[in-house]
Amino acid sequence: MASLRGLSRPARNLPLSQLARQTYTAVPVRCASSQAAEVAAPVLNELEDSTLTAPQLSEEEKKQFRPWKRAKDRKFGLPSGRYQYHPPKYNRGPLHPVQSPPASDPIARDFVPGPFNLPRLKQTYHSTIAPDLMTLAYQHVLPGTPKKETADRLRGWDGSSPYHKNRALRGPRGGPVLPLIERDITFNNIPLLKEISIASYVPDAIKDPNHLLVARSVLLALTGTTPEITKTKANVVQWGIRIGDRAGVKTTVYGNAAYEFLDRCVHLVFPRIKDWMGIAATTGDSNGNLSFGLTPEEVRLFPEVEANAWLYPAKMLPGCRVFIKTSATSDRQARLLLQAFGVPFYGKVRN
Amino acid sequence: MGKLPSTVLRRPSLAGCLLTTSPNLSLTHPPSPTAVPLPHHAATTAAGHHQVRHATFVLRHRRPYQFTQLVQLSDGSTFTVRTTSPLALYKSARDSRNHLLWQPSETSLRNVEVDEAGKLAAFRERFGKGWDLESPAAGAQPEEAAAAAEAPSKEGEKAGSQKKGDAKIEAKQAEAPTQEAAAQEDPFDSLVDLISSYSTEDKNIKGGLSAKDQAKKDKGGKKK
Repeated sequence: MASLRGLSRPARNLPLSQLARQTYTAVPVRCASSQAAEVAAPVLNELEDSTLTAPQLSEEEKKQFRPWKRAKDRKFGLPSGRYQYHPPKYNRGPLHPVQSPPASDPIARDFVPGPFNLPRLKQTYHSTIAPDLMTLAYQHVLPGTPKKETADRLRGWDGSSPYHKNRALRGPRGGPVLPLIERDITFNNIPLLKEISIASYVPDAIKDPNHLLVARSVLLALTGTTPEITKTKANVVQWGIRIGDRAGVKTTVYGNAAYEFLDRCVHLVFPRIKDWMGIAATTGDSNGNLSFGLTPEEVRLFPEVEANAWLYPAKMLPGCRVFIKTSATSDRQARLLLQAFGVPFYGKVRN
Repeated sequence: MGKLPSTVLRRPSLAGCLLTTSPNLSLTHPPSPTAVPLPHHAATTAAGHHQVRHATFVLRHRRPYQFTQLVQLSDGSTFTVRTTSPLALYKSARDSRNHLLWQPSETSLRNVEVDEAGKLAAFRERFGKGWDLESPAAGAQPEEAAAAAEAPSKEGEKAGSQKKGDAKIEAKQAEAPTQEAAAQEDPFDSLVDLISSYSTEDKNIKGGLSAKDQAKKDKGGKKK
């Protein structure tokens, strides 16, 4: 190999024309394909004109061919930017001739790159937690056992009036809300983390809007999404709030970001909270969504906030409420999922 | 991809249907003179009365910059996260790997005494403990006590308090004969040791010079 290289090195110093001439004379064209082409030449010549058969340029013509000279003599430059395709700003319906590319296309306006990593909590969920939950919650039912039917929760009409005919059923007494019925954990119904909403109510922002700015930047740092500003819903004179005051921020993270946020909470933030016992076990909306709160001191423990803590005025740092939404249909299933994620619970269990 | 507007309403035939269903609407609100007249009659009336979204804005998502950060937990395990923090490496000193709540079986974390700087240990090394004075019997004592303390924890929490008391009594009873035996062997020695430990000249405790005196002494030494 080395000798070959040594041989080729002096050859490299030769002028290109010499080299080309040498190779041209030395290498005999003797390939099966070219021979076959020669045999079929009279037929193929009728079909196409090959540029290879064109006569070679003479020395005069070669001297005349100077693209650099032509570029130099050009008075007006070519357009600087190449032509670039820009997707349309508006979708004008499926029948419009101009259609925007799908969101998965990197040139699309709504393209979001990623994912850039596989969050380890998600990985753990799919490799360990989900199968474990399914196995642990398995309840054997003998084949042929009749299905347990849930009682009708909507109230009917007694038919005392002729107008009761075909009338829609009534909701439960006391309120229009129908809580979910718990579904058993099976192979196709394993609870999973859907999204995490983080909300921060900052009533001080009514007097000093800078509070809103700080709260917004803190939530942005925590989640990596742009939070939206919420408005007060109630009039309370004593608290000095009116309907429509801009006094809060909220944001929601889904998928990978949600897993990473929960991972950060569980493994980096919760252990650093002084005398922390866990999340109160009474939390939950009985539909599988759990929540907890963080004080300003606890928000300060997040690595993102800690990294540039000097950026946030100490007295303006907000606390926040975190809502973990799962696909579980009851609180106990959601608690099971979060305990598997490593969230400790303490105190009495409500439901 | 954003929502595509439905084309159903824009079909002229359907617009005609709308007209028939609400004829008084077109009567009460005649098309404004400023509106651009369109060739199709039905289309003008429909546009005049219903808000039709001809185009949906394709939003460019606002994505604050995120870095890929390497997180190292206190047990040395590392993993990458996407975060807004610009630090490339985050080393945590306190996390779930060295917290009792997450590692309940880790005995080293059970230490109630917070002695991060090692000051308490240094104090103990320097001045000793009360039970260090009697070497042979004292060596066994803390072990027994530890064993007694462990026994109820193994048995369970329910009967813990009562059994703990029992265990303590048993441990005391077990210690008593050994101590008595030691005392009978040489009743004097233990006391002598006790006294002698106090009477020995401890450089650290006694005879120390103040900083000023020490400096003077050093100066004198150098001159000579």
